[in-house]
Amino acid sequence: MGMTQLDRKLHARLLLGGRIEGDRLLLGDAILAAALDGSRALTAGERAALQASPLTLRRFRQLAAARRQNAAPAWSGSHGLLRAADSGGGFALLETDDGMWRLHVVDSGGKLGVILQLDPQAPGAAQILDRRVDVVVRDGAGAIVLKGCLDADGECEGPWPFAAAPAAHFQQHGARFDVTPIA
Amino acid sequence: MRLPGTRYQEHGWEQVRKLLGQCSLQAFGHLDAALLLGAECEQSLAAYVEGVAPLLQAAGARGQEAGNSYGDSVAELALTLVFELQARPADWRALCAAVATEHARVGAFWSRPGGEAQLRKKFNDLYAVLRDKVDSDNYQVACGRACSPNRIYAYRMLDTAYHELARLFAAWHQHLEEVGAVLGRSILALPIEARQLRSIADCRPEWILRWSESQARFAGAPGPLHTRSKRFAALKDNPARIGAMLREIGDYEQLSANADRDWLQDREDAGAWLDDYWRVLGESESGVTPGPDQILEAQQDQLAAGEPAPPVAPEAAAADAAEATQLLLAPQQLSVAPDYLSAAAAAEDRASWAAQQMADHSLPVRLAVYLKLLGPFDDSYPSEWLGGASGELPTMQQLAVLDGVSLPTLRKRRDAAIAHLNAAPAPGAATEEKRQWA
Repeated sequence: MGMTQLDRKLHARLLLGGRIEGDRLLLGDAILAAALDGSRALTAGERAALQASPLTLRRFRQLAAARRQNAAPAWSGSHGLLRAADSGGGFALLETDDGMWRLHVVDSGGKLGVILQLDPQAPGAAQILDRRVDVVVRDGAGAIVLKGCLDADGECEGPWPFAAAPAAHFQQHGARFDVTPIA
Repeated sequence: MRLPGTRYQEHGWEQVRKLLGQCSLQAFGHLDAALLLGAECEQSLAAYVEGVAPLLQAAGARGQEAGNSYGDSVAELALTLVFELQARPADWRALCAAVATEHARVGAFWSRPGGEAQLRKKFNDLYAVLRDKVDSDNYQVACGRACSPNRIYAYRMLDTAYHELARLFAAWHQHLEEVGAVLGRSILALPIEARQLRSIADCRPEWILRWSESQARFAGAPGPLHTRSKRFAALKDNPARIGAMLREIGDYEQLSANADRDWLQDREDAGAWLDDYWRVLGESESGVTPGPDQILEAQQDQLAAGEPAPPVAPEAAAADAAEATQLLLAPQQLSVAPDYLSAAAAAEDRASWAAQQMADHSLPVRLAVYLKLLGPFDDSYPSEWLGGASGELPTMQQLAVLDGVSLPTLRKRRDAAIAHLNAAPAPGAATEEKRQWA
């Protein structure tokens, strides 16, 4: 008897969808967290409480999901492609495939500048922001486009370093770019 | 107002309430309101949910408006509340009791002039209570702290009071006396407090208390902390508690304005947490953790006592009628394609846990179970199942026709199948055994 994706959804709904008048949190976060990380198994009574209280189970799910999110591997780099539509004229914005970073080219008084921006909503963005990671942006040939430390808003800024205009430059150097942390 | 996990505490609630009132009345245009007087509450609740859900989905522009700042639309919030109601028959019984009381007094009030507004108010009251129950549960799930519907109501009262205060402060020169009463001194020039009040977190509890106290003088009716009701008795003499609640609202407002994704997790239904759940149960069964059980005591939340949030004013229910427009549902076909059942059967994974557990039930009953638990559309359904209108599962009525039974019979069989699933051994444990055996 296998569990299909549909089975899992159905089972989850059966577990979480019940409502009991006067239901309350029966187990504290510390007990649930210890059960989740395996340091202390639930006693029989606690197990029964978890199974009898949809509200406590919903809290369990919340903690389990948060734990899995924190355990997700740290960000090790992102890359993006120059889209076909950008190949002609100039461009103002590139985005990495994972949606985590945006690369803007801005013209301030005739001088081109480049800004790297972290999407604060992206998974794992909070940890990157917390650690104020040093990042480097390279073109497809490996040459450095921008290098620096993220500010509190998750941005890093510098001058456009090449003679050729951004669109032309990226086109000639692999039509891609990489954002990686500096260890 | 935003608080962790809550969805129904922002301005959009007014629209959710109106939509629910409108669709509920319209559902009873098709059903007979006398159904509410019957002894079979479960059947009337099921009939109501089946009737009102498609109306909410068809609500058009009004339904698409934002119902809160987390991106839930008015229609989505209304539907979620209807599904919560489905799992809380006690609330439905309270509505039925209220209708029966009125009926005993004056007869079939809903078919008299003005009776619509009375029936609408019953639904308004039902959902006013339900939204705070749902949100207090959501709050507990989001932050692991005990909360009651009344506590949610108290937060909302404080939030409303703060906004009223902020309005007075902003127009202080027009309200010298009132602002003076709040600050406890006479006002001659722009008070520094008015400039410093930027968020609810800056609001001092004594201002709220003095404002509430002065309402009798300035607004003609006592403020929320000074009515005869015992509802906020636990706050009245406790500025520290008021201050903590004000700060909590303010802190979360700031946090959630930046990045709040807690609520998203609530939607992720087939998440990996199930594996954690089965593992934790397994470890508990084979473990030998010494007792005693560490189960939380019920907390004495003084705010939990007392009446729930006051019902909606009858005038509001009457005013809603003026705005209501009849929602148009596409005419429902009762039949689906003639080969639907055989195609749907061929597409079902007979080896799956649910199919095995429900093997004794007919396919229409099994589909009715999916319809109730996961809704008319889910991306895990085989496309052959989606033979109903607009690519969804057939409706309960269509399934009843397919099964050759009456709608109430189908509902009963469906609920029996769900009860059977609920009692079935945990599928995770079963998979585990299989793995060990293999």
